[in-house]
Formats: sequence, C-alpha cells, structure tokens
Amino acid sequence: MNFGLWGVIGLGVYLVALVGVAEVAKQAKLDASPSDHFLAGRTLGSFVLFMTLYATAYSGNSLLGYPGRAYRSGFEFIMATGFMMSIIVVFQILVPKLRPLSVRHGFVTPGDWIRLRFQGPWVRTLRWAVAILMSLALANFLLAQLKAMGEVASLVTAGRIPYEGGVIGLAAVILFYETRGGMRAVAWTDAAQGIAMLIGLAALFSWLISEAGGLDEITLAVAAKRPDAVSVPTAIVCVNWFSTITLMGLASVLYPQAIQRVFAAESATALKRSFAGMSFMPLATTLIVTLIGIAAIARFDLDTAVDADGVVPLLLREWGSAGGWATAAALLVFLGALSAIMSTADSCLLSLGSLLARDLFGRAGSDQAATALGKRWAAVMLIVAIPFALQREITLWRLIELKMELLIQCVPAFLLALHWKGLKTGPVLAGLLIGTLLSVGLTFAGTTRLYGVHVGVAGCIVNLAIAVVFSLVSRDASRMPSAILPTQSS
Amino acid sequence: VIGLAYVMSVPWYRETGAPLRIWFGLPDWVAVALFCYVAVAVFNAVAWSLAEVSDTPDEDDTAQALHPPHPSDASDTSESPAPIGHEAAR
Repeated sequence: MNFGLWGVIGLGVYLVALVGVAEVAKQAKLDASPSDHFLAGRTLGSFVLFMTLYATAYSGNSLLGYPGRAYRSGFEFIMATGFMMSIIVVFQILVPKLRPLSVRHGFVTPGDWIRLRFQGPWVRTLRWAVAILMSLALANFLLAQLKAMGEVASLVTAGRIPYEGGVIGLAAVILFYETRGGMRAVAWTDAAQGIAMLIGLAALFSWLISEAGGLDEITLAVAAKRPDAVSVPTAIVCVNWFSTITLMGLASVLYPQAIQRVFAAESATALKRSFAGMSFMPLATTLIVTLIGIAAIARFDLDTAVDADGVVPLLLREWGSAGGWATAAALLVFLGALSAIMSTADSCLLSLGSLLARDLFGRAGSDQAATALGKRWAAVMLIVAIPFALQREITLWRLIELKMELLIQCVPAFLLALHWKGLKTGPVLAGLLIGTLLSVGLTFAGTTRLYGVHVGVAGCIVNLAIAVVFSLVSRDASRMPSAILPTQSS
Repeated sequence: VIGLAYVMSVPWYRETGAPLRIWFGLPDWVAVALFCYVAVAVFNAVAWSLAEVSDTPDEDDTAQALHPPHPSDASDTSESPAPIGHEAAR
C-alpha cells in the first residue's frame, strides 16, 4: 500500500475533526451526572441514534474480517447478512419492555435492570456475574479493535506511522474525546464515521463490479476456480447457519453499549425509527462486504488459513495503484475502515467504564463522583489493554470466539425476565453459572460446535432450562415485584 | 413471516452438489436466501414502525415500593438505581 504522505494527511485531518467534535460535545453537556456523560442526557434523536447504532454494530471485523471469512467460505457466508439482521429482530423482544422502565427508573447500565427486577440474597451475586460476563466480552472486543487500529494506521500511512504508534496514538485520541464529550462525542463521531464507512464500501464494491463486468461474471469465475464456493452447503453447515443466527441474534442485543443506546434515545419514537432503519443496514453493509470477499476469490490465490484476512488491503492496493481518484477513493475506504474500528472501540470503552464503575466495583449514583469514577475506570482499562495490543503476534482468537458464548448466557436475566414475572433470582444465577461453565469448558477443551451447534447456544439451552424449571418448583419468594410488568401473567 | 423467511433462507431443503444455476447473478440458493433476508428487512421495519414502545410503563409503577429489602440483601438495596436528576421527572 503506497498512500504514504496522503495517508498521513488524511489521518491527521480525520483525527483533528474528532478532537473538534469532542470539544463541541463538551460545550453541549448539561451537567456532570452519569446520565449526561454515559447516555448524552438521553437526548439522542433519530438520525444520530441510527448512525451510532450502525457505526457501533459494524466494527473493523465487519469491514476487514468478514471479507476474509467470505473468501474462505464462499457464498455460504451470505449467512452473515441473516445473522446481522437477526439482531434487529431480537431487539423487538427487549426494547418495548425495557425502554419504558429505563426512562421511569433512570437506568444508566444493564445492572440497573438487575437491581430493579431481581430480589433476594443472590441478587448482588447475579449482578456481579452479569457484569463480569459483559465486561469480559467488552474487554476482548476492545482489545481486538486496538490491534486492528494499529494495523490500519500502519497500512494507510505506508508504515510512516508504525503499528505501535497507531495503537497508542489512536487510543489516546479515543480516550481524549470520550473523556471530554462522553456519549455525545461518541455518538456524533459515530455519525460521521458511519457515513465514511458507507461511502467507502459503496465505492469499493462499485469498482469491483465494473472491473469484473457484472455479478454474473464474478459468480462464473468463482465457480470455475473454486466450485465448493458456489455449491449448496452440507447439512452440518445448514445447522451451523441456524445456530449462528440464534447465537448472534440473542447475544448481540446484550452488548452493554447496545442496551445503553436504548436508554440514551431521546424518545420511543426516535428509537423505533432508528431500529426500522437499521433493519436494512445488513443489506447495505454485510452483504456488500460478503460479495467483496467472494469477488476476491476470482482475483487472488491466497492461503485461506493464513492470508485471507488481508483480502481488503490487497484489493485496495490494486485499486489505489491506478493513481488519481482511485488512490483517493482507496484512501477513503481505509479511513472508513479505521472509522468503523474507532467507533466500536470508543463505544466499548465508554460502556466498560460505566459498567465497572456502576455495576461491579462502584455504587449506583447520580452525582459527579460517579461520573468521574466511570471515566477513571475507562482510562484504567485502556491502559491495561494497550500492552496486550502491542503484542502483535499474540493470538486471542479463542477469547474472541468466546465473546458471544459468554453474552448469550445473560439471555434469561434480560429477555426472559422482562416477559415472565415468575422467573426467580437463584435459578437465573444457577443457570447462568452452569451455562457459562459448560460453554467455556467445552471451548477450552477444543469443542466449539456440537453437531454444528455453537457450544454457547447449547449452554444457553441448559441455562434456560435450569432457570425455568427451578423458578417453577422453587419456593423462593424472589420473583419480580408484581407492579413492574402489570400486564404480564405469571 | 419473519420466522418462516429465516427457515427458508437456509438451504436445508436443497441437495448438496446440485448443478449451478444462476439467478440475478448469484447461485440460485444464494438468491433465495437473499430474497428471504430482504423480506425479513421489510417486515422487520414494518414491525418496528407498528411496535408499541412507550416512554412510560403501562401503569403507575410502584416497583420501588414493592421491592422491600431482603434481610440478607440489606447492602444491595442501598444501591437501588436512584432516578437520575432531570430525566426522572419525565
């Protein structure tokens, strides 16, 4: 990649713009409460909410990792469009019940729901267990974004900014604008980053299609080169397809940063409009990156086990080598990818700070001290993560794989608890612990799928069964206060 | 409808190794999956437009009053989420 000086200039302009947005966001702050810092004072309107949901949902992995997965798997990776869409479908189970309660009770973090909904001697342990699972998922998501930031900064500047400089420098910029402007800065920069991502992807895909002579030509060329990439998937792949849709749909809605955006919406109407718009974004993003990866099959001969993640940089190198507008457009795609990575990283960091301060180590509060505690925890987590991110060769794939398997274990405490008053604290905690142990144990024993079903999904089924059966037979009085969801039958 | 579209999007009903047929520039089973996902997107967007999402609970929520401190959870009840300043008044 030979963007060199133009890459440095483009990156510099982009970072200055981010810092400027942070200052404007700081001026817009209403007070120093956690609600104002972590949820933008619950003032996010339809457009900004939509863009921040979009930029947060589509990470660097979506733009750089998914084309590599499509290159390896072929057309069967169309499943990614389905599983990204399933997230917005599953939000329909969560949002209509959680949103009014969050406004009424001033929720800031997911733990606030646990505090309100559950009772009894095990409620604190349950809140900690949920917070630990969510923090682990966020921390390894953050680590993956930091590593990707270093790689992209190095690529876009042709090595003028080394990997280590990219990780530390960009992490510092994120910490600056997140600390200064909180959720407002994160959401506003997400809006700009989302637009850059969309334009970059559309430009790259248009170039690929025009180069190949149309979609038919791409499919025929792929079929000639790798017939397995176009063939009807086997039964085990079909089972895995269903399992992935289930895993991603159920687990992704429980990302704390996603839940906090439900709390941060200006109104229920803004929330509905944003989610209605988000329904179409997998078609505009995941489908496009899948087709980009598939188009690369006909162009490159890569070792699918090692080099496939480099598909997008390879395509951009080819595209950018034409010079002129092509180089500028390729540069825009790279900045779009960097935007996607940074927008996910900043959301993770903001959520992680609030989660650790409020749900795990601190106390719920509405004062300036509670906000400051969250900022400090965010800074601590970033400082702790950077040395790991600087180890370029470190392989955390197993942990990253575990991320969704951990989050899905929180399904009973949220999705079921919102709809069933009879669910009790002890059984939910027991189910969560056993489901987590089962998923983690099997993963570390080298089994990530059982007949195509993710171990996290299998663990969640056991988890749900324990939570439901023991809630039905238990005499424990820790069911939900009857007035929380008055229209539901128990 | 959304559930049915998801079930039909996965080509479990197709024979592995069937000859390649191209629809709309894609292998036919991919085109079917994509058609299903477009249907999911449309129906999901309509469902969100029609969804009843309120900014206030269905009835007057007296949950705090009905959430008495459990004897063994006394320290936890002190952490009940305090309504946060200005938005609590909404």
